Amino acid sequence: MIGLASSAAEAHFQLLYTPEAALNEAAAIPLALVFSHPFDNGYTMDMGTPEAFYVISQRGDTEPRTTDLTQYLEPIEWSGVDSQAAAFVAHPPRSVTRSLGDYTFVLRPAPYYESQEDKYIQQITKTVVNIGGLPGSWDQPLGLPVEIVPLDKPYANWVGGVFRAVVLAGGKPVPHAEIEVEYLNHEPQIDAHRFDPEGKVTAPQDSFTTLSIRADAQGQVIIGLPKAGWWGICALNLDDDSQHEGKELSVDAVLWIKATDMTK
Amino acid sequence: MSLRTLTTLALPLALALLATVVYAHNAICDCFDNGDETITCEGGFSDGGTAVGVALRVFDQAGKVLIEGVMSEHSDFTFPKPKVDYRVEFDAGQGHVVTIDGRDIEE
Repeated sequence: MIGLASSAAEAHFQLLYTPEAALNEAAAIPLALVFSHPFDNGYTMDMGTPEAFYVISQRGDTEPRTTDLTQYLEPIEWSGVDSQAAAFVAHPPRSVTRSLGDYTFVLRPAPYYESQEDKYIQQITKTVVNIGGLPGSWDQPLGLPVEIVPLDKPYANWVGGVFRAVVLAGGKPVPHAEIEVEYLNHEPQIDAHRFDPEGKVTAPQDSFTTLSIRADAQGQVIIGLPKAGWWGICALNLDDDSQHEGKELSVDAVLWIKATDMTK
Repeated sequence: MSLRTLTTLALPLALALLATVVYAHNAICDCFDNGDETITCEGGFSDGGTAVGVALRVFDQAGKVLIEGVMSEHSDFTFPKPKVDYRVEFDAGQGHVVTIDGRDIEE
């Protein structure tokens, strides 16, 4: 039974990590791009060169601005608890993020071949950061093939609150979309190229590692936020017809949001 | 710290203002050095409101106005970097004033 427990299904999650979601003032924003199993610091998978990596920024109602970030990609080896894998870090200079407003980082990774299922997985991932408290386009769809569009600011959530979003494929809501939710239990250490070996919580049973839920009939997702830190929401297999190199391609949408403790 | 936010409620004038207008938002302004002897300041409000037309003044240490202007259609204002120590005031009126020390403005 122990063997079964340790090999039980966990969710693959594309990380697009930065330590802070809500900055008081402009600063350089470091990022780690890792494909892993974030709750239990499990198997980390090799990433190919991303197909796209950019940030869309907007301050108030000014025109959104897109900045390509691929020039800042730095290939590295990332250490999981018992595995090493190809991943990327990026250190865009302060000038990229010196304006006030919302910054939606977007990563379209290379499709990953999952040999156990003989198919490819591509998780198009968004992480939203705000600078200075001046909001921008956090609630707008970006026209991605698949995406999770926030209904609440992804960077301004108290612990104990809820977070709502809508799952879109081809710009339309996906009723009853299959969703996985994971807590980023082992904090990434960008400069050390690894996860903190020490987790913050322990799952009492395997069902708690990856929370499996469904969107409602309107494609809306609501999750609770019981613990401070980053939470990943992944909507699975949103395009039934997608193929890559003659095999099935699961096109998933990932959104990372951050919950913050209410303290003095 | 180069960014300053200020709530209406924190000001002595607040009580007088509350009788007429209640603000649920803060004025926000920040500036950066373009590296070409110019400074750009951007502004707005925490509810996403625009700062178009909001006054921006640059003072020297003695309080003399060096430069005066208003936020553009993009809610920003660019001016030549003063040769002397200076401070920037973003004045959205009715107590919404944000002050930034020139020494805190980075590239």
